Amino acid sequence: MSFRLRLALLFVTTLVAVQVFTAVLVYEVARRGVIAEGEHQLVAQADAVSRQLDDISDRVADNVHLLSLDYALRTAIAQRDEGTVYSALRNHGRRIGATRMLLIGLDGTVRSDTSELNVAAKPFPFPDLIDVAFAHPAAAVVALEGKAYWMIVVPIYAPAPVALIAAGIPVDDALLAHLQQMSSVPNSLELIFKDDRGSWVDMAHSGRLAIAAELMRNRSELPLQPTVVRVNGREYVALAQRLKESERGASVAVLLAYSLDDALFPYRTVAYAWAGLLLLGLAAGLIGAMAMARSVARPIEALAETARRIEAGDYTADPPARGRGEIGQLAGAFTRMTQAISEREAHIHYQAMHDAVTTLPNRHAVELTMRKSLSEEPAQGALLLAGLMRLPEIIQTVGHAIGDRAMRDASKRLQVLCAHAAVARATDTQFAIWLPHTLLEDAVAMATRIVETLSGAYRESGLSLDTAPAVGIALAPAHGHEADLLLRRAEVALMNATGKEHAVAVYEAATDPHRSERLGLMGDLRAALEGDQLLLCYQPKLTLSTNTIDEVEALLRWRHPTRGLLFPDAFIELAEQTGNIRALSRWVIDRSVAQAAKWNRGGRPVRVSINLSARDLDDIALPELVQDTLDRHRVDPRHVVVELTESAVISKPEAAIEIFNRLAEYGVELAVDDFGIGHSSFAYLRRLPVRELKIDRLFTGEVTGSSRDQVLLQSMVEFGHRLGYRVTAEGVEDGRTLNFLRKIGCDHVQGYHIAKAGDAPSIERMLDARSLPSAILRERAS
Amino acid sequence: MNPYFVLAAATLMSPGIVAHATELVVLVVGQRFSPVADAVIEVRGDADVTQSFAPVTRIIDQRGETFIPYVEIFRPGDRVEFHNSDRTRHHVYSFAQAKSFEFVIAPGNSAPEVTLDHSGEIAVGCNIHDHMIAHLYVSDAAYVAKTGSDGRVVFASLPKGHVTVRVWHPQLRPGRAQPEQRLTLQDEAANLTFLMQLLPDPRAGAGDRERSEY
Repeated sequence: MSFRLRLALLFVTTLVAVQVFTAVLVYEVARRGVIAEGEHQLVAQADAVSRQLDDISDRVADNVHLLSLDYALRTAIAQRDEGTVYSALRNHGRRIGATRMLLIGLDGTVRSDTSELNVAAKPFPFPDLIDVAFAHPAAAVVALEGKAYWMIVVPIYAPAPVALIAAGIPVDDALLAHLQQMSSVPNSLELIFKDDRGSWVDMAHSGRLAIAAELMRNRSELPLQPTVVRVNGREYVALAQRLKESERGASVAVLLAYSLDDALFPYRTVAYAWAGLLLLGLAAGLIGAMAMARSVARPIEALAETARRIEAGDYTADPPARGRGEIGQLAGAFTRMTQAISEREAHIHYQAMHDAVTTLPNRHAVELTMRKSLSEEPAQGALLLAGLMRLPEIIQTVGHAIGDRAMRDASKRLQVLCAHAAVARATDTQFAIWLPHTLLEDAVAMATRIVETLSGAYRESGLSLDTAPAVGIALAPAHGHEADLLLRRAEVALMNATGKEHAVAVYEAATDPHRSERLGLMGDLRAALEGDQLLLCYQPKLTLSTNTIDEVEALLRWRHPTRGLLFPDAFIELAEQTGNIRALSRWVIDRSVAQAAKWNRGGRPVRVSINLSARDLDDIALPELVQDTLDRHRVDPRHVVVELTESAVISKPEAAIEIFNRLAEYGVELAVDDFGIGHSSFAYLRRLPVRELKIDRLFTGEVTGSSRDQVLLQSMVEFGHRLGYRVTAEGVEDGRTLNFLRKIGCDHVQGYHIAKAGDAPSIERMLDARSLPSAILRERAS
Repeated sequence: MNPYFVLAAATLMSPGIVAHATELVVLVVGQRFSPVADAVIEVRGDADVTQSFAPVTRIIDQRGETFIPYVEIFRPGDRVEFHNSDRTRHHVYSFAQAKSFEFVIAPGNSAPEVTLDHSGEIAVGCNIHDHMIAHLYVSDAAYVAKTGSDGRVVFASLPKGHVTVRVWHPQLRPGRAQPEQRLTLQDEAANLTFLMQLLPDPRAGAGDRERSEY
């Protein structure tokens, strides 16, 4: 139910309730007043009626008496002149208003009756009246032949009593009406008789209604006191007054009834006026209530509408400001709230779309910009992803505060340079620059300028930071139509650009490690494991002290049916990600051990070292597997070396310790591969049962140039020896390096310069020939 | 109680001295035992024979608008003469069956004598003055007398034997039988009392009916 309706309803209900209550109260008071007044008046009127009837009686009696003195009449009566008597009675009856005159003999028989010419001698029906007539006037209200009479009996003296005259004055409606008119009471006057059956009948009445018969039908007693009665649905105050009656006649009374409805009639006009006023008031109240509700509800509804719009995100509509009342205040508060929400949302939106450090739009924002730009024709543009590649290092070294400031500095330079492009911060270390409608040449030129601009070192309080900028470029539509794809591809290009001479690269599908072709490779790998596509190569390892090959490193190769020979770099990471590495490792272990068994049984005492993946550290069954494999091929554990890269060891130190210890227990030797680039600590290495360190090719590659590198290499070898490790140098590609390594006492070397990796038969031939490549021999000679 | 109830009580008194005659005292009382005057007492014996009386003339005077006397006893054949002693005229009339007449009597004059031949009660009124009324009682009984103001009549010598005593009074309730008693007269003197309820005296007060209850 709406507020307006409820308010109006409250008004109306209250008004009606008060009015009805008042009306009932007033009606009740008026009714009681009317009843009291009616009772009072009835009593007075009953007295008056009695008195008036008595007066009439007296007057008629006087008249009849005078009549009785009329000499002619007396003469006629005394002389029994019946004809004269009859006419005289009629004549005199008319004089006094009697409609019936009777002459009664002294013996009580009717001698003459004006109502009938020839009267049979019959007794006068009210002898008691005759009895008292000689003493005083006898009068009573009687019913005679269905009519009511006020019957007066007087003797005729001539001069002694000779007869009696009975004069019947009709008590009819007219008389009662006359009686009633003499009182101003709005009531009815009824003359009632008790008939033979004991019920009261109406003989005459003055009012419009005769209620006596109806009233007395259910009553045994006359209402001799004023009584409120209900007859035919109408209310009266009734009062009965007994009249002088003849002993032999019927009981007779007058019933006075005071109609409450009639008495209340004047009030009915008031009631109509009242009802009219009530209707008028209702209408006025309703209109007022509606108007008031409208003045209250309209602004509220408007506010609600505004709130709905705000909910939908529309802050533009101002709520209606009306007046200074509560609603006005609410509207004001609403406006302020809307503004606050709007500002806050704008702020949130800004934050959602911008980077806090550089105040540049963020990745999300630039994606939106690109999407918008790409939705327009021509859908063409270049996305440049500029990365500060050394920034993570800088942050680790000098902290985030300086890192942020370096980033901010770079953003300012970019903004100056690319004033017309959309510059955004894509990641912590990368900026995205969207150049719409730009072709490759312009994009590369811009990328080059960006690299130049960002290459200037960031300086702050004595620090000079080289951020190593690089830019990857992805072009639309050549490299994609979608913003996120372009971003990904620009990132791939950025990775390719890193370390390049110009530090700028355009996306190339071929170099993309994330391309979908890799997914196909994954399925192929499974086939390779089951088929005969995998093979092992072996790289000989030269022991410098004996100048002999007594160990080979097993290297995995994949002879792919369509792509040719694949190196581990191309598929190991994929195998690790797809969970195939474990099967791959088992295959490698099995084949390596089998080869070792073959060689050793064939009289070629050579050790085989097997490379494991960091993922293999998760396989707690690995040591048992190795042992089982050794047992199966009946190979002495000393003929097998397990290699794990330093970075793998560092990534899962606890697992490495566990696995290494158990392998060592079985008698398998362990080596740390790619040593020197994995940031491991010697304190940690000491806890591993490792026998050999293999120095990464990074340290051997440039050893011939700088004396500093030589010192580093020498230190590493010496350091390994002091800790009890055998030291192997990898990636030996020239003789000078070999000589240097021999000089500093390195235990083993491997690399192209010693021998390239080859398949098992070629290794066998080399071992059988007991000959090393010529280069090595040359070194030996020198 | 019937207001016209007549209580009659006869009491035999002491025996009379005269052998063939005895005394009868009749007392008439009204309400509250007040003596009733002007009551006519008739005594008739079983063995009475018709008598003849010497006619006399009795005068009814009219003085002060009143007939005087109020009640007069006549014998058949007697004459009555109305005399007007007032200074107004009187219109004397009677509609009685026994004798009806009508005279207008100038002041100081008398009406012609009227012979009353038949026994019966003759009410006489004046048509001018309604309150004037007189009663002429013509009786053929052997003994007749009217009570005096003491309500008493004494019959000094009545023959012994069965007698009927009847009372009449103008104010007796009309239309009723006259009260009477039968008794046997012995030697002893007899006393007879009539208790009667009478209508009001029509001459009541100053004889003005207009001032009565009517």
